[in-house]
Amino acid sequence: MTARSIARIALVIFVVLMVQQTMMVALRIENAHPDLLWLLPITAALVDGPETGAIVGFWAGLAFDLVLPTPFGLSALVGCLLGYATGSLTNAVDPRAAWLKPVAALAGSVAADMLFAVLGAILGQGQMVQINFLALFLMVGISSVVLVLPVSRLMRWALAGENHRRSLVSAQTDSRIW
Amino acid sequence: VARSRRSRRTLTVIILVVLSLSLISLDLNGRTHSLTSGIKSVANDVYSPLRQGVVDLISPIGNFFAGAFDYGAVQSENEQLQRAIGQLRAAQAERGFDQNQLRQLTQLENLPFLNSLPTVTAQTQDEYSSNFTATITLNKGRADGVDVGFPVVGAGGLVGQVIASYHHTSVVRLVTDGQSKVGVVFGQDNKYTAIVDGQGPGSDLTADLVAPGTPLHKGEIMYTSGLQAAEFPPGIPVATVSTFHTAAGASQESISVEPSANLGQLAYVDVVQWVPST
Repeated sequence: MTARSIARIALVIFVVLMVQQTMMVALRIENAHPDLLWLLPITAALVDGPETGAIVGFWAGLAFDLVLPTPFGLSALVGCLLGYATGSLTNAVDPRAAWLKPVAALAGSVAADMLFAVLGAILGQGQMVQINFLALFLMVGISSVVLVLPVSRLMRWALAGENHRRSLVSAQTDSRIW
Repeated sequence: VARSRRSRRTLTVIILVVLSLSLISLDLNGRTHSLTSGIKSVANDVYSPLRQGVVDLISPIGNFFAGAFDYGAVQSENEQLQRAIGQLRAAQAERGFDQNQLRQLTQLENLPFLNSLPTVTAQTQDEYSSNFTATITLNKGRADGVDVGFPVVGAGGLVGQVIASYHHTSVVRLVTDGQSKVGVVFGQDNKYTAIVDGQGPGSDLTADLVAPGTPLHKGEIMYTSGLQAAEFPPGIPVATVSTFHTAAGASQESISVEPSANLGQLAYVDVVQWVPST
């Protein structure tokens, strides 16, 4: 990963963190609000493969851990695993497929929230499973499907020049999709 | 080449997972928690002004869409009025508790009533920043006299307790959070005790450890007990009984209670500078 990509990814993480903590937390229905954090490793993995997904997920999670009241390192762990899993599971899929981003965003966000809650409970934070999961999954799932496109565009800009994903099409063709 | 890339990828993920687990261990270990807490404190001191700047930047847009030219001022005035009403309600509710206590303990002096305790008024910066916890962030921190463990009161009663204090901000766990437990007293002469347990955001609280047959009525107010080693001073309204019943053969009553504090109006709260006696 080049220094330029690292700087751009840091900027994207910062922008997404700010949007999350200022605007998204206000969009609360049934005590659940959208969670943009998970879209960072998902889109990074879709753009540049599982390794980049894991790295972006770790650093994005760590940045969010600094301002969230949940255990420090938990978002980093889930982000890292999410990025790796998304990249590995979609490695053989044609990245031009229209369904790929929405489906990855929906499944990845819901799975990440579930893993986050379960790991939190295992680590002694029992309150993390005492929430309305249906409302959470609906809110996070729907918002992720809607917001995956702009976040994906940001991530594509941040990772311009990186191409570790085993793609069925060339990077140049692929870059015109979004 | 493909195998080497796969090995490197696996190694990277293993390193990141181990790093994450190490950070979690540091945070959850009582002896090393201060390290992660310190990192969070520094990060929050940098982050809070930035966040406030963004909020200041985007709030006029939000206010515009809300459809009122002077919406911000009206909202602020409304919040202050809500707070004043809440304080009056709390004072009214506390009076009943005070009378009970006075009847029983007239020989004791210097009771730690809330009115005599110093408080710091703080503004709520952020509510429910995580989907998994019921917390609020205040704009006052260690530099303003707000420390971990201090009770927080608002419109109508107890709001929660400070669980993290940074230089100019602090995090409060609300009474509805699943990890919140408050020792309470209720009934005539405040002779019955219970534990009010949070059940997660949006859910009613429960009052546990109440023996079957304990006299109760709907609307009964439960107050912080202030018993030895209690985490809150006595006499703060915590919750109001909404439903109760005893199942056949149960060892305790099943009591559902609602928070006395208006948790929908948390624009301003008071942090009580109270440390439990050891």
